[in-house]
Amino acid sequence: MNQLAIRSLSKSFGAFKVFEGLNLAADSGEIVVIFGGSGTGKTILLRMIAGVEEPTSGHVEIAGENATDVAPEHRGIGMAFQNFALFPHMSASENIAAPLRAARAAEAEVESGVSRVARLLKIDHVLGHTPRELSNGQKQRTALARALAAEPKILLLDDPLRNVDAKLRFEMRLELPRLLRQSGATVLYVTQDYKEAMALADRIAVLSGGKFVQVAAPEDIYMAPATLTVAKLFGDPSINMVETTVRTAGKSATVDILGESVEIPASYAAYAGRKVAFCVRPEAVSLAHKSDGLHCEVQAVTPLNERVVLLLKSTGGWEFLSSLPSSAAIPTTGEKLRASFASKGTHLFDLETGERLDG
Amino acid sequence: MAELVISNVDKIYRPRRKKPVHAVKDLNLSVNSGEIVALLGSSGCGKTSTLRMIAGFEDVSNGSITLDGKAIHTLPPSKRGVAMAFEAYSLYPPLTIGDNIAFALKSSSLPTVEQQTRVKAMAEMLDIGGILNRYPSSVSGGQQQRASLGRALVRDAGLYLLDEPMGQLEPQLRAILRGRIKAYLRQHNCTTILVTHDQTEANALADRIAVMEGGILQQYATPADLKARPANLFTGTFVGEPPMNVFPAEVTATTKSVAFRIGERTSLTYPRSDFSSEVVQALSSIKKLAIGIRPYALHVGKGPIAGQVVACQWLGDQTHVAIEVEGRTVVSVAHERIKEKPGSSLALEVSASDLHLFDAENGNAIAHGGQLA
Repeated sequence: MNQLAIRSLSKSFGAFKVFEGLNLAADSGEIVVIFGGSGTGKTILLRMIAGVEEPTSGHVEIAGENATDVAPEHRGIGMAFQNFALFPHMSASENIAAPLRAARAAEAEVESGVSRVARLLKIDHVLGHTPRELSNGQKQRTALARALAAEPKILLLDDPLRNVDAKLRFEMRLELPRLLRQSGATVLYVTQDYKEAMALADRIAVLSGGKFVQVAAPEDIYMAPATLTVAKLFGDPSINMVETTVRTAGKSATVDILGESVEIPASYAAYAGRKVAFCVRPEAVSLAHKSDGLHCEVQAVTPLNERVVLLLKSTGGWEFLSSLPSSAAIPTTGEKLRASFASKGTHLFDLETGERLDG
Repeated sequence: MAELVISNVDKIYRPRRKKPVHAVKDLNLSVNSGEIVALLGSSGCGKTSTLRMIAGFEDVSNGSITLDGKAIHTLPPSKRGVAMAFEAYSLYPPLTIGDNIAFALKSSSLPTVEQQTRVKAMAEMLDIGGILNRYPSSVSGGQQQRASLGRALVRDAGLYLLDEPMGQLEPQLRAILRGRIKAYLRQHNCTTILVTHDQTEANALADRIAVMEGGILQQYATPADLKARPANLFTGTFVGEPPMNVFPAEVTATTKSVAFRIGERTSLTYPRSDFSSEVVQALSSIKKLAIGIRPYALHVGKGPIAGQVVACQWLGDQTHVAIEVEGRTVVSVAHERIKEKPGSSLALEVSASDLHLFDAENGNAIAHGGQLA
């Protein structure tokens, strides 16, 4: 069942349209990540669902009912924010209890509720501390505990890991899905970090230019990005791109990369003459000393965690990146090689519309 | 060309009516001509104080700094032959981006045409060729940071100091700019020190990394050595993403085998021949042992580290798998795609050559991969 749906939701401030005609439905217990850069309207969208921001048009549905006339406190929603937003004068325990008290729960219920979520988030030892005595990680866990305390049917998390350090962010990324599943809530999770989005989401809704450009499982977003924008937003290093035109020769298809012809899967022959963005994921670029493939020279070797990223330049001057496991044979700066592109990581997009061209 | 030598340098801040702060303690560090060195650490580790002492914005409390054999720590900043890019950019607001980059060149003897060519090439390398006529306040933080970097790199200096040079760069540009900047520093044989809290940046750019913590240099080594041979538990767990798994362990060595017990029901057992006799000897006198295993060294297999899958997350080019082993979360990373359902059972294995052994009492490394540290 759709626990939460937004129908043709639009928001403008005067002549400025933040977004227009957004549609999205989330099943009960599903984790949907709203992904997009800053200023795309992610937070405004969450605030509308929470009922603290009016849509310009369209509406929000909760459990199949139009929620327009339902006050925020009656929507059954828990929220956590990137700046934690804890009450500074209250202890962690009082902060967590706040939504239960607001719902006028019995004292015994408040107590058991607080200790349940505190155990879940491993903060039972700091319940007596005030926010200023908590580390950033503990603050963030307290904020999550508060969001979960009243067992909301819907949980809205606005970039909750933004302000914690990289190690903690990584730990929480591993821990959160289990925690969220246990809560049973339908989750809308806002982030700008594609790794977080891929790690946590059942589905990702990519918000760009005022609309959802793709709503799909992480695998589909990465393996078959719907637009050039989506392709660029997912992956580190970012996908390689060059503008070119599809050509055909007999049954095969090629693209010209700054003066050098490179064969692409024959299925792209249908797009002969089309101006395209030819894109290849860095991990799909393989390098070898062989007689075919794009001529290139290694400009720089930059290790990236357990991988090595190579900056390459083709004879015609195309700069592109290859990402190899550090256990592989790593070419050195100045080495001349031939590059080939695995079809799985190669994508073509219409240069004008940015739309994906399926091969 | 330039060689920088930092000898026995201390930095002690003496704020009024407060306790003195010993920010840098007896630092010894040398940077070869043309070498790129990163000072890596979290905030308060002493890395920025060190950089500021080299640049001349702070006095040294003790010790000396020489560049090319000449003591520079007593010279004013402008006489040190050092070019610096600041973390807060510090661009001149009334000057265009182009004039900011050209600023230091204008007082040089370089012909105007040559100056313009250089500024243009630098701006193109940093992808800001299109905004040279704009003012700092009208461009993004990432563009200001690139302009600040360009202003430092375009100069002819004996030493380049870069303070968190790429922290604000747009994620889509970061990898390609790292590559271009590294290629540029190499081609021009620039002796460079960069300060960063971001190990990804340090690993990508640096020939050697100086890891600092609590004002003390913890280890100074190549990125590869830092990973393979961490000097202590601090560098072991600080460098490497995701971080190294660490287990408290009890060791039992027989004539045939060496066994490390890391839990009630979990033991790692290897043939004794996997360890040198010096290592076995050293282990016999250790009271508290810690074992470090990097996530990439843990492979899905037959065990002996077995537990339930907490999370299995594919990120496009790698999979992060977390399993819970006797109440402890263990992380494994693979380059390929792994599909495991949360809650299912999974066993991980690790070879003796991937074990890092530490004395848990003082944190010092005992052995890496069966050989003495």
